[in-house]
Amino acid sequence: MQQLTLFFYIAFTLGVYALVRFLYVRSKNNPLFNIVAVSAAIIIAVLLACGITCEQYEPAKDIMTILLGPATVGLGLPLYRYRKLLRQQAGCIAMCVAGGALLAMFSAALIAQWGGLPHDVVMSIMVKGVSIPFAIEITGMYGGIPPLAAAFVVATGTFGSLVGSWFLTRVGVANPLGRGLALGTVSHAQGTAVALMEGEEQGAMAGLAMILAGIFTAAFAPPVVWVLQLLS
Amino acid sequence: MHLVRTGHTACAICHIPSTGTTTVNKFIRILWQTALLFAIYQGSLWVVRVTGIPVPANVLGILVLFCLLLSGVIKEHHVNEAATFFLKHLVFFFVPVAVALMNWGEVFYQYGWVLLAAIVVSALLPLALVGRLAQYLQKRKDRCSN
Repeated sequence: MQQLTLFFYIAFTLGVYALVRFLYVRSKNNPLFNIVAVSAAIIIAVLLACGITCEQYEPAKDIMTILLGPATVGLGLPLYRYRKLLRQQAGCIAMCVAGGALLAMFSAALIAQWGGLPHDVVMSIMVKGVSIPFAIEITGMYGGIPPLAAAFVVATGTFGSLVGSWFLTRVGVANPLGRGLALGTVSHAQGTAVALMEGEEQGAMAGLAMILAGIFTAAFAPPVVWVLQLLS
Repeated sequence: MHLVRTGHTACAICHIPSTGTTTVNKFIRILWQTALLFAIYQGSLWVVRVTGIPVPANVLGILVLFCLLLSGVIKEHHVNEAATFFLKHLVFFFVPVAVALMNWGEVFYQYGWVLLAAIVVSALLPLALVGRLAQYLQKRKDRCSN
């Protein structure tokens, strides 16, 4: 019986994904059909309507994400194909991602602090621009709440993938290098996935930015925490 | 997707010539290549666990694959089809992950506007900064080198 419901959850998730992806491609990449946000919203709505809790869905999630690690490793390939661009623009890439990661940490933590959120929530939201393993590692060092940090990471990733492409076009970024770096810096793997849908160069740069943003965020955390204490 | 390249080379690992690009052959090749990616990821997990370095296994895995490709130990066509397939559907994995957000609805409800503002502003500002800065720097560099 349990296997049957498990199978049903997975089949349902795959079905919703396939449908939303179809609509997205059909609508010529209309950002309204953002695959992650729309699919997750549909699934959450159905789960809530049927009185199914997140814990019951969890085993299905674990099965579906078994291949997430190996799939992410595949980013090594576009990175390798763009190694020439990477060497040429190394300084530019490092500078942009460092600036972006710093700005993301500061703006998030400052708004949270000014808004009167408790210290542990501020420390959790500070690291939200990096992939979950990084975020959990860093937030734990400064008194944040790891599961909450993971939730912020996912929220940021979902938001970034929802508006990222549209917003970059609005502010006049046409350059594939810039688009990829921005998406990867702000929305880690979720932004990278969106960048990959735009093109291979964007995807490669986003993957690289995601890696660098994780490293920079870890490095910048001590000074950012220090400044936040001064401002509080 | 520009990643798709129909290779006419023989796969050195599984010894299946890819000239006859039948679906079955392609499927078997993807399975093999997935196993290779899986092995790299598991190896990275192991290294992270044993050495305790504060780097996520998937990030280490990307760097390992990149270095293996650079050094020529692994050739592009050893991972091409599986990597292309997974990267094309990378967004899928984040659907079940995002569903877990429903558990945190209360926290978001409690601190609603502040959290929303923090997430929105801290996403839009760096997006604009990184995008514009990278575009500006690359244009300037291209002008200088020409």
